[in-house]
Amino acid sequence: MTSLLVVKQYIKNFINKYEVYLKPVLKLILALTSLLMINSRVGYMHRLDNMSIVLIIALMCSFMPMNFIIFVAAAFVVFHFYALSLECAVVTLVLFLVMFLLYFRFSPKDTLVVLLLPICFVLKIPYAVPLAMGLLGTPASAVSVGCGVMVTYLINYIADSATALTAMETEEMTTRFRLVIDGLINNKEMLLTIAAFAVTIIIVYMIRRLSIDHAWTIAMITGAIANVMILLVGDLLFDTNVSIIGIFIGTIFSLLIVKILEFFVFHLDYSRVEKVQFEDDEYYYYVKAVPKITVATPSRTVKRINTPRKRSGGSHSKR
Amino acid sequence: MTRMASYEEHEGKKDIAIIHYFRSDYIGFQMLKSIIAVTISFFALFGVYVFYNFEELMQEVYKMDLLDFGKSVMILYLCVVGAYGVVAYVVFACRYSRARKSLKHYYDNLKKLSGMHNK
Repeated sequence: MTSLLVVKQYIKNFINKYEVYLKPVLKLILALTSLLMINSRVGYMHRLDNMSIVLIIALMCSFMPMNFIIFVAAAFVVFHFYALSLECAVVTLVLFLVMFLLYFRFSPKDTLVVLLLPICFVLKIPYAVPLAMGLLGTPASAVSVGCGVMVTYLINYIADSATALTAMETEEMTTRFRLVIDGLINNKEMLLTIAAFAVTIIIVYMIRRLSIDHAWTIAMITGAIANVMILLVGDLLFDTNVSIIGIFIGTIFSLLIVKILEFFVFHLDYSRVEKVQFEDDEYYYYVKAVPKITVATPSRTVKRINTPRKRSGGSHSKR
Repeated sequence: MTRMASYEEHEGKKDIAIIHYFRSDYIGFQMLKSIIAVTISFFALFGVYVFYNFEELMQEVYKMDLLDFGKSVMILYLCVVGAYGVVAYVVFACRYSRARKSLKHYYDNLKKLSGMHNK
């Protein structure tokens, strides 16, 4: 455990030291990953499905604010859908517009979830996002996670029904429009996932705020169980055909990720809890103090045994 | 001191921008932006609704009372604007008072720091 703590401290020191360079690099990686994933899933516009363009835009994103990546990713999705069919582009554009105008004005920091959630869905660990948001965010994060789920399912639905949409070219525009909207609204799996994630976030948030020992661990395990239960019960009720093994394995991996997150953000020593009571003129205080576990990184000292000889002034001697 | 520098660098900038306004001006300006945002979103969604039900609407356009339809749309719009406006008001009022409190705390600490320097 001590060695892990030392590693953690080393990582923290490294991040503190090179934060200026690490931030753009991380933004570059995030932008590159999301744009490449979008291109691989819905790369209908061949002009955008080009590595050099993706690289240039990702490089541009690395020097811009974080929210710029989300705008670029949203624009990529809309352009790709425009190449597929105008109706898909219009529906997606309206969805993004409503999301950005109505909700993300209030919490611009939460926009990152909309980007991370589709990536986590591809990696089969989407359950890590509601657990992490419950631990680090507020119940309002449920809205951003809901938006992220909606965007993911919309992209997946359109990508899956691309052939049907292309075959319907002779049909009227309104028929294709209806197909896209119906696919979005009547997607029970999407609604169930939104509900499960929202409940998970609220449960995790409520438990981790409690003044109990190991609150974060209890919160994440309870949240994960609640999430699995809702998804399974929902599968029974609405016949959503979700993969049960996928849910279990995904939840276990998500729990591992969130546990690592806890190790970095909220690592406390519950064996040294102190409870104190004191008062001032206006209040009486019941305080429970839990110390954080920290270790100092071993510092290497280089001791020079032979002091380097100073070169005698050759030029002087030559004179 | 490090905390103060960090505050000044990050949240402080936003808080100072907020506190530059009077409370009523700040909330009023944000409400105006919210109303514009909700209007654009409402009409975008209404457009989607109209296009989704285009055939039915076209068939019934001569039968239906357009004035009544317009009136119900306007009532719905006002309800949406009202509900969103209340949420926006609460959020921005809280944000203003929080910014004021944080800045007050920051200025108190600045005073303490300058007192320490003068000693």
